[in-house]
Amino acid sequence: MSGFVLTPRRAFETRVDLAGVLPGVDLSGLTVGYGDRGVALAELFEIGGSVGDRLTLKSGSALLDRVGAGLSSGELVVEGDVGDHLGQSAAGGSITVSGSAGAYAAAELSGGRIEIAGDVGERLGAARDGSRRGMSGGVVVVGGSAGPRAAERLRGGVIVVKGDAAEGAATDLIAGTLAVGGALKGKAGRGMKRGTLLLRSADGLAPGFGDALEHDLVMLRVLARRSPDLAAFLGGAFKVRRFAGDLNAGGKGEALVVPAA
Amino acid sequence: MILNGVEIRDSFAEAFPMVGTRLIITADTAKWAMIAAKTVTGFATSVIGCGCEGGVEREIPESETPDGRPGVSVLFFTMDLKGLQTVVPNRIGQCVLTSPTSACYAGMEGGAKVSIGKALRYFGDGWQIAKNVDGRRIWRVPVMEGEFVCDHDTGSVSGVGGGNILILGASRAETLAAAEVAVEAMQKVEGCILPFPGGIVRSGSKVGSRYKGMFASSNNAYCPTLRAQTETKLTPEVASVQEIVIDGVSFEAVSACTRAGIEALVALGRDKGVVAIDAGNYGGNLGPFHFKLREIMA
Repeated sequence: MSGFVLTPRRAFETRVDLAGVLPGVDLSGLTVGYGDRGVALAELFEIGGSVGDRLTLKSGSALLDRVGAGLSSGELVVEGDVGDHLGQSAAGGSITVSGSAGAYAAAELSGGRIEIAGDVGERLGAARDGSRRGMSGGVVVVGGSAGPRAAERLRGGVIVVKGDAAEGAATDLIAGTLAVGGALKGKAGRGMKRGTLLLRSADGLAPGFGDALEHDLVMLRVLARRSPDLAAFLGGAFKVRRFAGDLNAGGKGEALVVPAA
Repeated sequence: MILNGVEIRDSFAEAFPMVGTRLIITADTAKWAMIAAKTVTGFATSVIGCGCEGGVEREIPESETPDGRPGVSVLFFTMDLKGLQTVVPNRIGQCVLTSPTSACYAGMEGGAKVSIGKALRYFGDGWQIAKNVDGRRIWRVPVMEGEFVCDHDTGSVSGVGGGNILILGASRAETLAAAEVAVEAMQKVEGCILPFPGGIVRSGSKVGSRYKGMFASSNNAYCPTLRAQTETKLTPEVASVQEIVIDGVSFEAVSACTRAGIEALVALGRDKGVVAIDAGNYGGNLGPFHFKLREIMA
């Protein structure tokens, strides 16, 4: 698989806006934001390889914003960390980050797949400021923990956080699925309208959830068939404890406590 | 054409275009999946009297079903799409939604959509919830047992209805036994159903009647007790006739099913009482699909 390989020429002094730096794009002559000015991409990165459906970013940094923003096809691989707005509004393709990501990772994602091996900052898969709906499709897998308000106003798609989710996860969640393998830090699912939370414990749920006791749900078997990531999370367990909520917002959402495999 | 002592008559089955769809029904056990499948395809032998033709296509192993439970695929055919869009949700609502542990999924992509959960969700009286995973919408309808899970809709296909073979046998017992063997072979062909009881239609029929308002009546030329009263298609050694009707998702599927049946009957041979194999048609002027027995066996 051919493609460009970007290697930083030196440590960054300010934030870099990598919007438009995508697989399949001819990067020669491209200008990117650098602090409050624009600079040639080639001034910040050594550009190796040629245009192709894969783009590799070596030696990532938390100062690299909007990595993979608007991606619709191809593969973007980051060796290291990224900054804010990773994969923002992406509609397809795949992004793999071996380190951690900042705030608003996968915000308003509508398709494709994003994997982050480390942690993510606040508002994973959320709506951006002033926007009514967060991520609406695609899959996000976080190997570490998520910052505050993960999946806020999530509209669709699947988010799996293998570690903890900080306060306010799934706030005002509209639809879609958030799975959290670690602990919830409180007030999760407040204002949740529909959608599904898959959890290991009900601790940390907002008070508006009502206990519907244990059920063997056929629906989980369908989810496991259609989503390998959820299948891995469920680990073959389909008997779960169901909490309906937020009962203050219609109560058609649910938090399912899945025993660990 | 004589094969293993069995005459393959120079005849053809005359079939018609129909609109078809496939559903996959699952349950906690294979037994309950089959009960739901048999119930939903009950009273669906002929569009003339039942409004649709339906039947079990095959059992589906757990590894292939949408929810990992034992399943059965069923096919339904009607003369037009509107009919399909009416009978399928009605039947699912009465026979699958009600059947213990069942779930109902789309069995085909493409074509005009036929409602499943799109229509049945309202049974949930506002408590129903939808889930969209992998681009497909699925409904969860609360029921007293737990939840009824179903896809939003299924696809449809332009199919073929009314393929058939007639088995002319030396005795009633031998003809039925031969028909059962043929049915077993034909049911292994994917994309086809044999909508009549056990796959066999012992009455047969011809189009029309001397009585006003009757669309079908005794096929007197093949009725063994009438050979002295009417022009007959039966040679003296023929004592009984059984028919197998085939509906399929394509001409090729019905053709393959026809061949499978004839091969099974030929394997039995004249020694097992199979005298001849014929087919029902209307002179070739009504149905656009002709399944010529000798060409199929060539």
